Amino acid sequence: MVGQISSIPWLSLLTFSPLLGVLILLLIPKERVFAIRTIGIVTTFISLIIAVVIYAGYDASKQGNTLLEKFDWISIPLNLDVAKGIQSWTLDIPYHLALDGLSLPLVVMTTIVAAMSALASVSIRKRQKTYFILLLLLEVGMLGVFMARDLFLFFAFFEWTLVPTFFLIGIWGLANRERAANHFLLYNGLGSALMFVAFAILVATAGFDQITDTSGAVKFVYSGDLYTIVNHLQSSGAAANLGHSPFFLSEGWRMGTFVLLLIAFGIKLPLFPFHTWMLKVHAEAPTPVVMLHSGVLLKMGAYGLIQFGMVLLPQQLADWATVLAVLGIINILYGAILAFVQTEFRLVLAYSSISHMGFVLFGIAAMNEIGLQGAVMQMVSHGFISALFFLLVGSLSERTGTTRLDELGGLAKRIPFISALLLIAGLASLGLPGLSGFPAELFSLLGLYGNLPWAATIGAFGVILSAVYVLRGVLAITFGPIAAHHQQLKDARLVEAVPAIVLTACIVLIGLFPSLVTAPVEYGVSHIIDMFKVGG
Amino acid sequence: METVFSQYAWAIPTIPLLAFLVLTALGRQIKGAASLLGLLSSLAALVLSVLVLTERWSPDAEVYSHSIDWVNLGEVTLRVGYELTNLNVLMLIVVTIVSTLVNLYAKGYMEGDDRQHVFFAYIALFTSSMLGLVVSPNLLQLYMFWELVGACSFLLIGFWYDRPAARAAAKKAFIVTRIGDVGLLIAILLLFWQMPDHSLDFSVIQTVFQSGDSLAQHGITAGIATWIASLIFIGAMGKSGQFPLHTWLPDAMEGPTPISALIHAATMVAAGVYLVARTFSIFHVSPTAMAIVAGIGGFTAIFAATIGLAQRDIKRILAYSTVSQLGYMMMALGLGAVTAGVFHLFTHAFFKALLFLGAGSVIHAVHTQDIFQMGGLGRKMKVTTWTFAIGAMALSGIPPFSGFWSKDAILAAAWEQDHKLLFVIGVLAAFFTAFYMARLFFVAFTGKPADDQIYQQAHESPSSMTIPLVVLAVLALIAGFVYTPFNGQFGIWLTGEPAEDHANVLVMIISVAAGVCGVLLGYVLYRPGQSQRVDKLEQAAAPLFRVLERKYYIDELYNWLIVRPLRVIGKGLDIIDRYVVDGLVRFISAFVDGWGRTSTRVQNGQLQTYGIVSLFGFVALVLLMLALGRGFW
Repeated sequence: MVGQISSIPWLSLLTFSPLLGVLILLLIPKERVFAIRTIGIVTTFISLIIAVVIYAGYDASKQGNTLLEKFDWISIPLNLDVAKGIQSWTLDIPYHLALDGLSLPLVVMTTIVAAMSALASVSIRKRQKTYFILLLLLEVGMLGVFMARDLFLFFAFFEWTLVPTFFLIGIWGLANRERAANHFLLYNGLGSALMFVAFAILVATAGFDQITDTSGAVKFVYSGDLYTIVNHLQSSGAAANLGHSPFFLSEGWRMGTFVLLLIAFGIKLPLFPFHTWMLKVHAEAPTPVVMLHSGVLLKMGAYGLIQFGMVLLPQQLADWATVLAVLGIINILYGAILAFVQTEFRLVLAYSSISHMGFVLFGIAAMNEIGLQGAVMQMVSHGFISALFFLLVGSLSERTGTTRLDELGGLAKRIPFISALLLIAGLASLGLPGLSGFPAELFSLLGLYGNLPWAATIGAFGVILSAVYVLRGVLAITFGPIAAHHQQLKDARLVEAVPAIVLTACIVLIGLFPSLVTAPVEYGVSHIIDMFKVGG
Repeated sequence: METVFSQYAWAIPTIPLLAFLVLTALGRQIKGAASLLGLLSSLAALVLSVLVLTERWSPDAEVYSHSIDWVNLGEVTLRVGYELTNLNVLMLIVVTIVSTLVNLYAKGYMEGDDRQHVFFAYIALFTSSMLGLVVSPNLLQLYMFWELVGACSFLLIGFWYDRPAARAAAKKAFIVTRIGDVGLLIAILLLFWQMPDHSLDFSVIQTVFQSGDSLAQHGITAGIATWIASLIFIGAMGKSGQFPLHTWLPDAMEGPTPISALIHAATMVAAGVYLVARTFSIFHVSPTAMAIVAGIGGFTAIFAATIGLAQRDIKRILAYSTVSQLGYMMMALGLGAVTAGVFHLFTHAFFKALLFLGAGSVIHAVHTQDIFQMGGLGRKMKVTTWTFAIGAMALSGIPPFSGFWSKDAILAAAWEQDHKLLFVIGVLAAFFTAFYMARLFFVAFTGKPADDQIYQQAHESPSSMTIPLVVLAVLALIAGFVYTPFNGQFGIWLTGEPAEDHANVLVMIISVAAGVCGVLLGYVLYRPGQSQRVDKLEQAAAPLFRVLERKYYIDELYNWLIVRPLRVIGKGLDIIDRYVVDGLVRFISAFVDGWGRTSTRVQNGQLQTYGIVSLFGFVALVLLMLALGRGFW
């Protein structure tokens, strides 16, 4: 966890770069749609460039290579009895961003998907100014989530994403948009509440720190700093025999906290049976927002589970590995079977996301490097694939007015480009080698097989089912006879083709060279895996 | 020996890949030149393969292997590269020859199709993937190309995507082979954690599995070896259309016929056989796995041959014949006769590609696939007919055509191992094969035309299509002499072990007799000069014929046992998901909603209400404090 502090605050620049666009957008009159779109799109590309520059400079071979930014931010004095010798007793919320090998691929993926989503947003036909402002604000929240290393800061960014998403769904969505937005907010709010309780428990116990400054004065501090809490939890396990130390968090409390975190992040992931809220989002939200939602926002759940659940409470995770694997099996099979019977293509994709997230759970339950590399690979891969899928779904519904499987067919004849990419997205989704889905699922399965062979074996059958539902969905749209009223459809315009090609290129690139993702991850997760090795 | 060309063997799969990329990027522009580009890339791969072969004449030529890191996973490094063994190089030759000829043939066959460039791009991608599969130095890389050839097969079966039948067939091919692929995938998972250093290299597999001692040394039990072998075989069953995963292969005939020849007869479907041969050391240590392979192979050989008796579609007859012949190859491997199995793969590739291309030539001319609508084509399509006859005789095991030698080698292996049941099955299947090929030939090519209109439009195909037929006919004639009972060099070269003497005159006589009897019976029933509109076999045993014609109702069975239950379960779960699981979300939103409304009602601006709420609140607080036993601050 040794970090390097750069003279230029790259991480803050990256996180808050979209705000620049927000400021400019505020100054532009809402009638100037072209300017608004341009500013919105260009801003996302600035973030993308910064992320790529950081990625290019990241030396994966250097163990624990982490960019770090930390300074005191908020300090709340606590109204507790101050004994002699103790100067103060405060609750500190430091501003602490870091970019390690685990976050890096996700951050790069976020900026790419956000930029492509902004390009796809030219299809938005009303209130473009508000729309792009919200979209950029959403990007800030997403980037912050992946970089925050303070529990409060993480929580704040996590909540931050809810607000723009709520409005983006509620204002620009389809017929039932308000209901979908409502469910989204309430259900995620519930998850956040559970996360907050878990974080509060952690801060109140393991977050306690005693600092003696140079003058000999002692300060008692409650801190949400992730690394402080990790250190305290590690050194104050049952084995450390610290008894009544304020750091102490009994096994029972730890387990309870772990379950709270599992549910909180499970809602986001989504984990069966907490998944139904996201079906409505997939079905009702405007497609550029679904690109971000399915591509990036869902990954926050899996990311949280690794960066907080796994790092903070490794022993509990180890105890629950079997449970996680079983939950993974349920997600994979349940999602796949339900995807198979949907008649609305958006729902096919929504259930397919549930199925694919099962492989992330597999990778986590594996508790080894291979598995975790697979889990992160799957997060990145699925981010690109579902972004591509929903980009194309947007293009389809703009042309045909429907994405119902029984109303479509034979579109390959009139819109071969869109159809071809839809097929590529489908093949990537069902795990064809050469595309990103394959190494992701392979590594997750390889990892899990080392820990729980039976679970990996059952999960492998998901590979058959994914072929079944993907081909059913995609071929129903592109193959077969074409309806007479679809004879006049026009193929993709340039502004649609560019993001589609970029996303496809990403899928192919990391499919052929998975080490683009797995190499940083390997060093980002090795300290997590070490904890399992020490703990036995 | 100096290896000059072997070190450039990586280019063999790469050249067609480049052709694929160019065709994908510029296909629309170059249109007419697409077939030329496809042909040249395959030809270049063929030339290079032949050059590599020249460096491997000697049976003890060293295995040439080269690989680079692909990805690091924890302490494990997965690698990709290429490896040349004599078996691999033989496969390279087969694949590149057939691919080159099919590219040439397709130029004529696909003339006028406005998506030609897509077609040739797919063929190039397939050729590249198939060659990549063949040279893979480890099981994981093989698996990747294994999936890719499957995807190409899917794309090409569904090439005429607007036909619902093509869509269904493409989907079915992908899904059914996927079932097998999962077996192979699990085998890889199992091997990965069993092998020393997580190595999946074929060379390491060979070392570890060479004997019971070396297995024990690496802590692999006989049971695990059986599991690994069986799981690999499940993968092979899917690709090579072995019962019960055979159902996709006949349906795959919806694709353009050159594809049927290349993918679904000569190369991809043989990949299962190749896989078993490549990992044979694993099978060799497990008698159970060997028995499974032999049993499934033998059953498939006879099972598919009987279905072939009752089909009317020229391509489906050939498809069931392919399934049956692949069963033969598997049976040979299960009997431990690797050389015989691979030899049959080798000869079969040529004569079956020939038969499919011949069938394509016929279909191209008459636009029907029903043999009972053809008849008398021999008078109008001389080259097609003669070459088809050669292919049919090779398949029927008539000496001296190539099929005879390879089939005889398999039957001899069954005989020598004293495996009576498999020997009888092999002979019976050979008889059926000869019979249905005679039926096909006499009905379609001889006698009176069944339909004058169809006969009128029949014509010989252009030379781009007939040249490949002639070349393949020559190969179907001579390929068998590579390995005759009188010359066992091929066996030594291929497996490194001295060939067993399989010159068994009795077996040869039985084998020839089975083939000749089949042809004669076919001649008697379907000979020229009689009304050909009825199927004699159908008249003779209508109920049995119906069962065969409907392929033993296997498709219907799968539909009832798997497809429908899956759909019913899915629909059931969908209802549960909508009303039970989602009920949780609705409950929460209703609860929040209701709470909000109630609280709103309380804040009604009336002082009395506020007073009551405050009073209750105060009382509650007091009670709480007392209960906790703490004082007020």
